[in-house]
Amino acid sequence: MQPAAGSEPHVDAAPAGQDPAGLSPAGQDPAAVPVTAEPVGDEDQLPTGPRRILVAFYAIFALAATARAVVQLSTAFDQAPLAYLLSLFSGIVYLGATLGLVTERRWSRPLAWASCGTELVGVLVIGVASLVDHEAFPRDTVWSRFGSGYGYFPVLLPLLGLLWLRYSRPGAPRD
Amino acid sequence: MIAGLAYGLLAAGLVLALWTGIQGGRHRPTTEAQMVGAIVVEAGLLVQAVLALVRLSSAHLSEPVTFVAYTVGVLLPLPLGFQLARIERTQWGSAALCFTAVVVAVMNLRLLALWRG
Repeated sequence: MQPAAGSEPHVDAAPAGQDPAGLSPAGQDPAAVPVTAEPVGDEDQLPTGPRRILVAFYAIFALAATARAVVQLSTAFDQAPLAYLLSLFSGIVYLGATLGLVTERRWSRPLAWASCGTELVGVLVIGVASLVDHEAFPRDTVWSRFGSGYGYFPVLLPLLGLLWLRYSRPGAPRD
Repeated sequence: MIAGLAYGLLAAGLVLALWTGIQGGRHRPTTEAQMVGAIVVEAGLLVQAVLALVRLSSAHLSEPVTFVAYTVGVLLPLPLGFQLARIERTQWGSAALCFTAVVVAVMNLRLLALWRG
């Protein structure tokens, strides 16, 4: 009885970058065997996991920033147009990064690089500006004070994204 | 909106986050029970959204638009985490579901604050 994995001759050579030793063979759920959609055979295959957790981060932040900007712009545009337009801009950048990470087209990686880079510059510039010049930012944006309103995630996220893009670039040396 | 239900869902989100977080920390994919747990929490969130929108007219909210955005928005993270945990059968899938469960808990906290005005 070969459940699910009948098409793969070497199931033991798990392609994903996790330790198979952590799973006890007795209590192993058939669904827990890492079956990837990619063709098996290439030993140093990229793990898909880091990219997917980044997708989770970016999708949530795209939603948060865009929704926040839309609500702010529609209800109180006059109070702080600069801050609210910046929120909208950050939302669009997060959407770009999400799209670049989800898709696998020619433009995907350039889009992800550009989005993460813009995001890093944005969060650093706005972070410093919001500390130096309070008057210019009477209302918070996602990037104000390095994203302290969001647990400093906005300043960590572009670093994680850029690290992943560097690690996963074609022809990169891997351990 | 019912405060009791919101607090319950906040706690449920945290429990789900802790549960899947431990699973991810042990380098394991999500279990079936955790996936069912995510569906149960999502069902609770749907009930809460319907109740909140029905009672919206009788409430005195300082930021009604924000409240509606959060009420509807809180429904979105868990399906995303669920889908990622389903296709990514590694510890990363567990981490994705963990993260979205934390987001649900935080958004519920914000909902409670908005409801009180």
